[in-house]
Order: sequence, then structure tokens, then C-alpha cells
Amino acid sequence: MPHLKVQMAGISMDSPLVLASGVLGVTASSMRRVVDHGAGAVTTKSCSIHPRKGHPGPCIIPYEHGMINAVGLSNPGVDAVVNEIRTYRDECQAPIFASVFAGSVEEFGKVTRRIAAGNPDLIEVNVSCPNVQSEFGAPFGASFEDTAAITRIVKKNAGKIPVAMKLTVHCPSIGKMAKVCEDNGADVITAINTVGPGMLIDVGVKRPILSNKMGGVSGAGIFPVALKAVWEIHRNCNLPILATGGVSNGNEAAQMILAGAHAVAIGSAVYNRGVEVFQRVNEELLEVLELHEMERLDDLRGGAHE
Amino acid sequence: MNEQMQTFPVVEVVEHNPTLKTFYFKVKTPVKPGQFVLMWLPGLDEKPFSVSDQKRGRLEITIKAIGPFTKKAMELEPGDRVGLRGPFGRGFEVQDNALIVGAGCGVAPVRFLHETAKRMEVNTTLLIGARNSAEVLFKDQYVDEGATIVTDDGSLGGKGLVPDRVREMLASGSYSTICASGPEVVLVALRNIAKEHNLPVQLSFERYMKCAIGICGQCCLDGSGIRVCVEGPVLTHEELEQVTELGLPHRDATGQRPEKPGICQA
Repeated sequence: MPHLKVQMAGISMDSPLVLASGVLGVTASSMRRVVDHGAGAVTTKSCSIHPRKGHPGPCIIPYEHGMINAVGLSNPGVDAVVNEIRTYRDECQAPIFASVFAGSVEEFGKVTRRIAAGNPDLIEVNVSCPNVQSEFGAPFGASFEDTAAITRIVKKNAGKIPVAMKLTVHCPSIGKMAKVCEDNGADVITAINTVGPGMLIDVGVKRPILSNKMGGVSGAGIFPVALKAVWEIHRNCNLPILATGGVSNGNEAAQMILAGAHAVAIGSAVYNRGVEVFQRVNEELLEVLELHEMERLDDLRGGAHE
Repeated sequence: MNEQMQTFPVVEVVEHNPTLKTFYFKVKTPVKPGQFVLMWLPGLDEKPFSVSDQKRGRLEITIKAIGPFTKKAMELEPGDRVGLRGPFGRGFEVQDNALIVGAGCGVAPVRFLHETAKRMEVNTTLLIGARNSAEVLFKDQYVDEGATIVTDDGSLGGKGLVPDRVREMLASGSYSTICASGPEVVLVALRNIAKEHNLPVQLSFERYMKCAIGICGQCCLDGSGIRVCVEGPVLTHEELEQVTELGLPHRDATGQRPEKPGICQA
């Protein structure tokens, strides 16, 4: 019988589908519900050392080809997230990934040490959020030096917990960036974050809609951009890839795996297909395996590179 | 109106009193009683509001000045444009012989339910509750119509609390369901009373929301993970069964649950 079990950096998952960071990842109950609907793992919303309220509304707006958001990294602070992880563990077996961000290299080290106390299965390091530039400047993920330094300090403070570096396409070369992460000790590459930032203007009041004016673009429209990034990362480094960006069906998830992904995160598609999207994409992925008379996703992985 | 952002001019403002106004918009998109919309005041913020009625192609939103957003909304005049998105969530089902209960600001959404039932010629009973006479929403209309009103201090209608009055009404009459909106402490009390009487409920809950489209996870209820913005805001006994946070202070904009209950911040 074909199955969807995968291994990534020593983490066993019943499905390659992961709840992407920033979506339904605030509370343990919410994440458990996503697992009940077929996700192989979940990712918490990015957290920082101190709680943040984020930007005022509007902060998430759907449009024709996806959505645009500038939530502003609202979160209850790393210690509260550790508590949510512990609650989740009591209720749910599926792996949980913890996303962290910070305003400096040193702070990345600190927040990693504190989140490690919750013993997540993976620490995902968000060096690529485009929505806090007025506060933090350009994302660290745009610079090879910054990304290398953050990778080193995070690895040092994460102990035995594997580390994923979450990259942006807005850098000189995402393939080379992934290699830099690999050379500095990362265990997984997550790619990509939202694209842009972009903007939407209301014609009636003649001003940008998002309170932050600009925000990261996600959803169906960015899928080809994310897919090409995953392809390029696979050619440039040997780390497993957690692919994310506009995936909304089994065909697109299979394309990510053919480009080299070990796991595929789903976020914005929850809007279009509901929480049930995970179960549906699982079924659609099994159909792809049947089409090729394959038993497991390992046989599909990287197949587009031959 | 849909889930994407569009701005609409205010076409009429009715002032009930200086801190309570109803704003009218030309919106034909059908909204169900109990569903909500997001209102954007450009330059300030975007907040969820229930709809207090929709008829003849006009949508009504009744706002009480409580926090910075709602105080600013009091300045809106005909012609001013605000963003409206929605409708979001699952509303009330109109049911014959329902006991419809609105307490405090919760009168706004149940008013829409009650008016809809009247238009459909479905028989329902309305109970309105407030702290005092000045806080009774749509007071003139409900006094004219002879609706049952209770106030905590007895300054209008009967003196007493909404749950106590509901107990009395259930003892002397028979109803098919309780549909209610209001402070959570009232909703929890009504839920328990309804259970004792083996009555189904449709109760409308509030939580801090950012997206209203089921993405951000900010309004998920502990215990079940139900999203108030999508599966709610109107919830039944079955949906509330696993919820563990009823009556606790709501999670705030950060996602933390504060020690003390906050009052409506908008």
C-alpha cells in the first residue's frame, strides 16, 4: 500500500504536510485540530522574547490571487509559546515546530535558548519576515553574513533540536543562501516566506489598505516563485527542504517534492479549502503515487532534476 | 460587499443617544442574522461588528462608543467612506417559537434575528436586558412594541437579571430553543439553564480577531480549536461541549490570556 510517511532531519511524520507558520498556530487546541484534519506536523506562529501586539487592522486581506498580510509578528512571547507547546504535547503526537524571530543576532540566540526549553521537534528560524522593516530594517535573510551568524548562534543554543532556516527569495541567490546555512550547521531549509512586500490601495479612499501600507504576499499567486526557489536550493545544498509558498493541492505538493522537498507546508490554502485542506491534499498526493505506481514519497523526491 | 476590501459611503446616521448610533450603508450582499462584518476606519484600525438589520438593500450597524475605535466611529457622517468586508461566520437559524435574548450590546445581533423572524412571519419571543434604562438598545422601538425588558436596577421594565427572567419564562412557557447574544457570563448561565430544560441553544460569542477568514488562529477556542470567526460566532451545545475557556478572560492581541477580564476594547 502506498503511504505518505516521511523523515526529515530525523523527524518522523505520517504526512509530509506541515501547517505553515503564521496560520492557526497561536494555540495548542487550534494546532491539534489541524493535526486531526491530516497535517503531519504543525508550526507555531513566530515568537519573540517579549509579547507583541502586532499592527492594527486591516492586517490580512484576501485578493484575487492569494492574500497580503502585515500582521506584524504579534505573539504572546516565547515563554507563553513554550506553555502552548507543552499543552499540545499532552494532547497530540504529531511533531511540532517552533518558529522564532528576533531583532539582532544575539537576540536570536536568546529566543532559541528559551524556546528549546519547550523541546519542540524543530526550531524554525524566521530571518525573512517582510512586515517589520520600519522596526528592524531589511530582513536578515537578505544578507549572507547575517544569515550565517544567526545560523551559528541558533545551532549553538538549540542543543540537540534540529534547526531550520526560513529563507526569503529576496536575496542575491537563495541557492547560495541555503548553502551558507548548510555550511554553518543548519539541519533544514524552509523556503520561502511571503513575497514582496506588496501593496493594495482602496480606490474609494485613495490610500493603502493595510495599516502597515505594505505586506507579504502569499497564496496561489506565489506558487511558481516558491517552486523555482526549492528547485534551486535542491541543486545547491544537501539539506532537506521544507517547501512552503502557495501550495493548495496535491499536484502542487507533488511538484514541490519533485523539485526536492522533503515536506510541504500549507498556509493560505486554509482560507480557500478550509482546515480540511490537509486531508484532501493527502488524498491527492496518494493519487500521484498511484499514478506512478510508487510506494512512497521518497521515490518521487527530486525526480524533476534528472 | 465580499471578503476583499471595499469602501462604502455612510448613507444615513441615526443617533439613539450621543454614545449609541446606527449607521446605514447601501449593501445588497445578503447577511444572515448573527453574522458579522469587519469595519475599517482608514488610518485607524479594522474591527468586527455584528449587523443590527438589513432591509431594502440597506445594512445597519449599531455602534456603542466604548474604546478608541467606536468613539471615532461616532464622528462618522453621511458621505464618509468606511471599509466593509464580509459577511463572516455562521449566524442564527430562524426557528419557530424561539426565545431570543439580547443583553447589553448583544441586543444588536438578536435584533436582526428578531426582525428577520417577523418578516418571515415566524413566531418568536424577545427578551431584552441591560444594566439600566439608559443602556437599553433600541429602547423606543422595544417600549412601543411592548417587548419584555429587564434592567439590573429596575429603571425600565422588570427589575432583575436576564438569566433569572429566562428561568421564569421557561417555567411558565414552552420554547423550541434559546438564541442569545450578550456578555459571556450571561451566555454561560443561559447555556446551563437550557441544559437543565433540555433545550437547544444558539449562542453568539466574541473573541479577539485579526483576519475573520479563519487563517490567523487568534480567535480559536481552547479545548476544541473551533474558530469563532468561521465555525462561530453562533455556537450550539455540541460545539461548546469541548470548549474549556468559557467565562475566562479572552486572549488579547498578542495571543496571551490576561489575568483579569478585559472589557470590549474596540
